[in-house]
Amino acid sequence: MRRYRAVLIALAIAVVGIGLVGRSMKPGTLVATLLSGLTLGALYFLIAAGLSLIFGLMDVLNFAHGTLFMLGAYVAWTWVQNPHGLLLWAGLVLAVAGGSATAAWWLNWSPDRRPGRWTRRWLVAVGVALIGVTAWQWLRWPQALTLLLAAGGGLAVGLGAFRPPVVRPPHRRLVWRGVAVVGLLLVTVLLDAQGPTLASAVAGWGSNAKFVSAIVVGTLAGAVAGALMEWSLIRPLYERPIYQVLLTLGIVFAGNEVARAIWGVGAKRMEKPGWFGQPCRSESLAAWVYEQCASVTVLGRSFPTYRLFVIVLGVLLFVALIVLLRRSRLGMIIRAGVQDREMVEALGINVRQVFTLVFALGAGLAALGGVAAAPFVGVYPEMGLEYMLQAFIVVVIGGMGSVPGAALGALLVGLARAFGDYIVLSGVSLPWMEKAVRMSPSIARASTVLIMAIVLMVRPAGLFGEEE
Amino acid sequence: MSALLDVQDVHTFIGQFHILEGVSLRVEEGQITALLGRNGAGKTTTLRTIMGMTPPARGAIFFDGRPIHGLPTYEVAQLGIGYVPDYRAIFRHLTVEENLHLAERRKGDLKRKADFIYHLFPDLARLRHLKGGQLSGGQQQMLAIARVLVPDNRLLLIDEPTEGLAPVLVEQLVEAIRQLREQTTVLLVEQNFAVARHLADTFVIVDDGRTVCQGTMEELANDPATVHRYLGVAVGGEA
Ligand SMILES: Nc1ncnc2c1ncn2[C@@H]1O[C@H](COP(=O)(O)OP(=O)(O)O)[C@@H](O)[C@H]1O
Ligand SMILES: [Mg+2]
Repeated sequence: MRRYRAVLIALAIAVVGIGLVGRSMKPGTLVATLLSGLTLGALYFLIAAGLSLIFGLMDVLNFAHGTLFMLGAYVAWTWVQNPHGLLLWAGLVLAVAGGSATAAWWLNWSPDRRPGRWTRRWLVAVGVALIGVTAWQWLRWPQALTLLLAAGGGLAVGLGAFRPPVVRPPHRRLVWRGVAVVGLLLVTVLLDAQGPTLASAVAGWGSNAKFVSAIVVGTLAGAVAGALMEWSLIRPLYERPIYQVLLTLGIVFAGNEVARAIWGVGAKRMEKPGWFGQPCRSESLAAWVYEQCASVTVLGRSFPTYRLFVIVLGVLLFVALIVLLRRSRLGMIIRAGVQDREMVEALGINVRQVFTLVFALGAGLAALGGVAAAPFVGVYPEMGLEYMLQAFIVVVIGGMGSVPGAALGALLVGLARAFGDYIVLSGVSLPWMEKAVRMSPSIARASTVLIMAIVLMVRPAGLFGEEE
Repeated sequence: MSALLDVQDVHTFIGQFHILEGVSLRVEEGQITALLGRNGAGKTTTLRTIMGMTPPARGAIFFDGRPIHGLPTYEVAQLGIGYVPDYRAIFRHLTVEENLHLAERRKGDLKRKADFIYHLFPDLARLRHLKGGQLSGGQQQMLAIARVLVPDNRLLLIDEPTEGLAPVLVEQLVEAIRQLREQTTVLLVEQNFAVARHLADTFVIVDDGRTVCQGTMEELANDPATVHRYLGVAVGGEA
């Protein structure tokens, strides 16, 4: 019942808004603007979904979420431009991960053999130093040596920092995890041995294969960065939420500077995949299947096919996320945890571990959004902050902790941006006016805040939010 | 004989408030122990301290001989302690069945226990596909108890299960808890002295955050002065 009303409110706002602005539009322009709005909405959704889940579940206002969006875009760009460099550095990350995964497995296997307190401190210190030195001398020292040092560093940090479980997991599960760890180590070694070969292979791929693999690589990079961020920076501060907010804000600025330092100040262009890249215009979607043109005719007007792909991607991920939440055990834990974390833990579920997982999931989605955005908005350091602010508005409109809310909010905000941009270009004429009034560009930004205000007046907790 | 649960002189702070100032109690395996005391005496805080939700600043807690003070809540639970809090801690957006599934500690827990649970609470079988938020207060309380029966818990901490329930439901719940005695050990907080007397083998009374006495329920029933002093009720209260 509540849900239908939320959807009705959103529909009412959309219809009134579009009615006012779109009254004087030609049908082709109207549809094109609608589609532009949906495209933006899809991107906002990818950021806002993780943001909303993270806030709903763990009360963390993660300003750094936009940084992960940016990271996804840059990693994808680098993957396409210079797979060699990226793969070389991936070896370092994998080696450290392999080392610490081995430590985690060992501590689960024989919890009684955990090193003593002081040994653990030394292990962490030595491990961090080892990883630092290795990162510094990576590509300079012999590869086998750096690989071993990095893995050793990860192992030492893991042994020092991880706590063995009080109840040993079932034997079968441990065996499977052991197999996974061995697999990870094998992949690491293989990648280091065959990295250059793989890199030149990737460099020779067509644009479609590059793009699809860039999506995978960018998303994984985001997920790993997110998990690391939660584990190392956010987790120690759950008792001090203000510090957490400050910290994530700090990450945003630090992230911008790091991006500038590594990739430079200007915007990078990322090529569209060939499927959406032929310099022509298809008459219909059916024709596009054969021609793979960069644009398609919609009601007499041209619209970029790549943006249609972004819309489809957004919808697919929305469905996937809903299925995950409704059907999987993880989803069940998330839904329960949004309401009452403490009780979930009292059932014997390691909620902190779930936090890390959800953080990684949200970060991966944001990074995926960054990859998807790259071919049509470009790649630049400030993109994170820019999309972040819109995503925050989306989350507030949709209600904290609700994925359908994030989707609906993203839709509203995306449409508002698209129609706002249209107004800026063409001016607006209301029924009682003689001449169209020109608006300043800030109207597009203001419109989303206006929608937020309206929604909050009707529903203080957002469309799908629950009042405490 | 060593007790299943042994709480030794526990002190707990909530923020800067010294809430528990020396609670000690022992729960023997296979028995129902009633944790009694007036409102605000520290009963709920005692259960939360055992669960590791408000960890003790001083004192020790042993479960089956191993120290559990300082462990995170999920590990206390994994050792085999089930907690039924005094508020309706049912997950509103999950169905009854999902609420039960969530409590599984190993795959197949619910499958093995379903018959027993649905036999104990026939209502729940009927309401399986309803959302937790759609249940009545009494049904939610049953679900909360059913939930801790899903895994193989050795000790249940149940906080005021009959509070605010209609007499018929109280009777049903009391019967269910009585049947649990054959399965597990229970530490039960109960304001209704008649109910406590009917169910429990032994008792502990806390007052002002301290244990004041412990013994068998029979002894307490024969000591109206103590009952009156610490619980403010007459022994012969109606059942
Ligand atoms: N979060 C809290 N902050 C401050 N005081 C609290 C808090 N929780 C409980 N108390 C106080 O601790 C005392 C014991 O509470 P509680 O354990 O709930 O008692 P009982 O369950 O026996 O009624 C009460 O005086 C209560 O006011
Ligand atoms: Mg209480």
